[in-house]
Amino acid sequence: MQATLPTTPSFDRAAERARVQRERRRTAMIDVLVTLGTIALALLVGFLVMLIVGKDPILAYSSLLGGPLSRTNRTGRWIEDATTLIILGLSVSIPFRARQFSLGAQGQMFMAAMIAAVIAIYVPMPPLVAVLLPLAAAMLAGFLVGLLPGLMKAYLNANEIVSTLMLNAVVVLLYDFLLTNVFTPPGSQSLRSEAIQAGSMLARFTTLLGVNLGRANLAVLFAAILVVAVWALLNRTPFGYEIRTIGANEKFARYGGINTRRAIALSFAIGGAIAAVAGVHLVLGVHQRLIPGIAAGLGFEGIVVALLARNNPLLIPITGLFYSYLRVGGDIMEQEAAVGTEIVLVIQAVIILLLTAQVLVNYVKSRSRPVRET
Amino acid sequence: MDQALQVIFSATFIAAVLRVSTPILLPALGGLISDLGGVVNIALEGIMLTAACAGVLISVATQSEWPGLLAGVVMGVLMALVLAFFHLNLKADLILAAIAINILASGGTIFVVFLLTGDKGSTSALVSKQMPFVEIPIIKDIPVIGPIVSGQNLLTYVAFIAVVLVAVFLYRTRAGIHLRAVGENPEAARSVGINVRAQQYLALGLSGLLAALGGVYLSMGYVKFFARDMTAGRGFIALAAIFLGGKTPWGTMIAALVFGAAEALSVQLGNLRIPNQLVQMIPYVATLVALVIYALVQRQRAIARQRKFRQTQTVAVGS
Repeated sequence: MQATLPTTPSFDRAAERARVQRERRRTAMIDVLVTLGTIALALLVGFLVMLIVGKDPILAYSSLLGGPLSRTNRTGRWIEDATTLIILGLSVSIPFRARQFSLGAQGQMFMAAMIAAVIAIYVPMPPLVAVLLPLAAAMLAGFLVGLLPGLMKAYLNANEIVSTLMLNAVVVLLYDFLLTNVFTPPGSQSLRSEAIQAGSMLARFTTLLGVNLGRANLAVLFAAILVVAVWALLNRTPFGYEIRTIGANEKFARYGGINTRRAIALSFAIGGAIAAVAGVHLVLGVHQRLIPGIAAGLGFEGIVVALLARNNPLLIPITGLFYSYLRVGGDIMEQEAAVGTEIVLVIQAVIILLLTAQVLVNYVKSRSRPVRET
Repeated sequence: MDQALQVIFSATFIAAVLRVSTPILLPALGGLISDLGGVVNIALEGIMLTAACAGVLISVATQSEWPGLLAGVVMGVLMALVLAFFHLNLKADLILAAIAINILASGGTIFVVFLLTGDKGSTSALVSKQMPFVEIPIIKDIPVIGPIVSGQNLLTYVAFIAVVLVAVFLYRTRAGIHLRAVGENPEAARSVGINVRAQQYLALGLSGLLAALGGVYLSMGYVKFFARDMTAGRGFIALAAIFLGGKTPWGTMIAALVFGAAEALSVQLGNLRIPNQLVQMIPYVATLVALVIYALVQRQRAIARQRKFRQTQTVAVGS
C-alpha cells in the first residue's frame, strides 16, 4: 500500500524560505528601531526632568553624552565599566531566558570577589595559574550562591525575587564583616585588604599601550569569550534549548519531557558563575585588592543591559557599551553640571518601563506591518 | 547569654518589636491585598521610599506633619497606579515594571534630595516633622502593658488597626470578595460580570496606600529624616511576611512581628559585643528560612489534599 502524499502545487520552497528570511530581517530591524526609539524617549524624559528642575539641560547632556570620550582616562573608565556590565548582562540573560527573575548578581559578585581575593592574596602561585585558579574558585562560589535560590525556586517554588535579594543582603554583610575583621591588616589606616600578588593582576591597558586608559584591563577578553560562550550555550546546546523552551512555556516544557526543575536551578547557578567573573574583574583587574562596597550599586544594571538586548547574548556587548557610556557620562555630568548622576537611574527605569510595555511595542510593530501579498 | 535573655523579656523590647514591625506590617498588608488580587506588588520597596521622601520634604516645606503624610500617601498611590497602568493597560511584565519602579524611586529620591539640599546621603540637615506619638489615657498607667501599648507612634496604631480593616475588607465586603475572586481565577470572575481590570487597579492602589503609610512611618516616626535607600529591603521582607503568614491578614501580622522581633533583637544584640554585621544578617536569614518553611508547609498541604481527594474517590467508587 502506498499512500500518496497530498501535493501542494503552489508551494515553492525557495520562495518560501526567502519570504521567511525577509520577515525575520524585518522583525529584527523593527526590534532595533523600537530599542533606539525607547532610548531616545528615555533621554528625552531625562532632558525634560532637568528642564523642570531648572538645571541647564544642554550643558548637562553635553557632558553626559560627550564626557566619556573627552579624555582617555574617562574612556578607560567606560571600557572598565562596560566590561563589568556586559558580563553582568550575560549573567542575567540566562535565568531571564527561562523567565526566572534571579536578582542575585550583587551577592554573587561580592562572594566571588572575596574568594578570588583570598586566593590571590594568600596562596603563592606560578604566573598563569595565579589568574586561573582565583577565577575558577570564584566561579564555583558564584555557581553555588546562584544554585541555592535556584533550588529553592525549582523544588520548593520559593519566590526567587525575595530569596535572591535576601541572599544579597546576607552576602554583602558577610563581606563587610570579613573585610573589617579578617582581611584588613591590623594597624591599617583605611578599611582595605592587602594588594593581591603581582602575578594575579590582570594587565592594564595603560601599561600595555602606554596611553592613560585608567584601570581598564585584560578582563575585556573574559567578556568577549563569555559572549560567544553564552550564545553557544543558549543556542547550540540541549541545555539552552531547555532554557528557551521553559521561557516560552514552562508547562509545555514539562509535558515535553524536560526536567524543568533541574534546568531552572541550573539557570540560576550558571548565571551566578558568570556574575562571579564580573566580581573577579573587579578584584584582579580594577581594584587589585578588596575595598568596601566593591560591587555596590551594580545590582540591577545587568537587567537593563540584558533587557535592551532582549536577552540576546550577541547584542549584549552593544547594549552594555551603551549603558556604561551613560553611567560614566552621568558621573562626569555630576562633576561638570552639578546634576546628580542618579538621573541615569531615572533614565534606566524609563527604559525598562517602555521596553516591557507590550502594547507600545506592538503598536509600533503593527504600524510598520507591510500589506500581505497573497 | 543572660544579658540577651533579659533584653528579650523586657517591656522595652516588646515595645521595640511593635515599633520596628510597623514598617514591615503596613507594606505587607498592602502586598497581601495585591497578591490576593493576582497582581503581586514587587514595587512595595520603591513605593515606601517615594512616600518616605515626599513626606519629609513636604513636612519641611509646610512645617507641619499632616500635609507630609498626605503627600507621602498621594505619591505612593500614584506610583502604584503607574505600575498598574503599565501592567494592566500597556501589558508590561508586572515584575519587570515593578523593578523599574523600584529603580525609579531609588534614583529619583536621591536626585531630588541632592537638588534640594546638595547632600546625597540624607535630609538630616532639614528640620522635618514627625507623626505624633500617642499616650493612651488609662492604659498608660498599667504596669507592664502600659509602656508597651501606650506611647507608640500614631502610624503604629494605624498598622495594627489596618490588620482588622484589611481582614474585614477581604472577607466581609463585596469588593474584597470580588478582588479575591479575580486573584483566584480572572476568567471565571470575568464570566460572572466582575470588572477584572478595575479590581486589579483597586488591589494595586490599596497596596500603594498601605506601603506609602509604611514609608511615611519610616521617615516621620521611626526616625525624623529621609536617608538614601532607607527602606533597606523592608518592602521585600514584607513580601516574605505575606508568604510566611499563609496569605491571611492575621498570619501576615504574626509574620511581620516575627521579622520585627528579629530586627529588634539585632539592634539590641548590637549593644553587646557581637559583630554588628553578623547581627544585622538576622532578619535576612530569618526571611530565607521563612521562605523555605512556607514552601515546605505548602507542599505538605498539597500532598494532604491530594490524599484526601484520592480517599474520597475510592469511597465513591466503593459505594
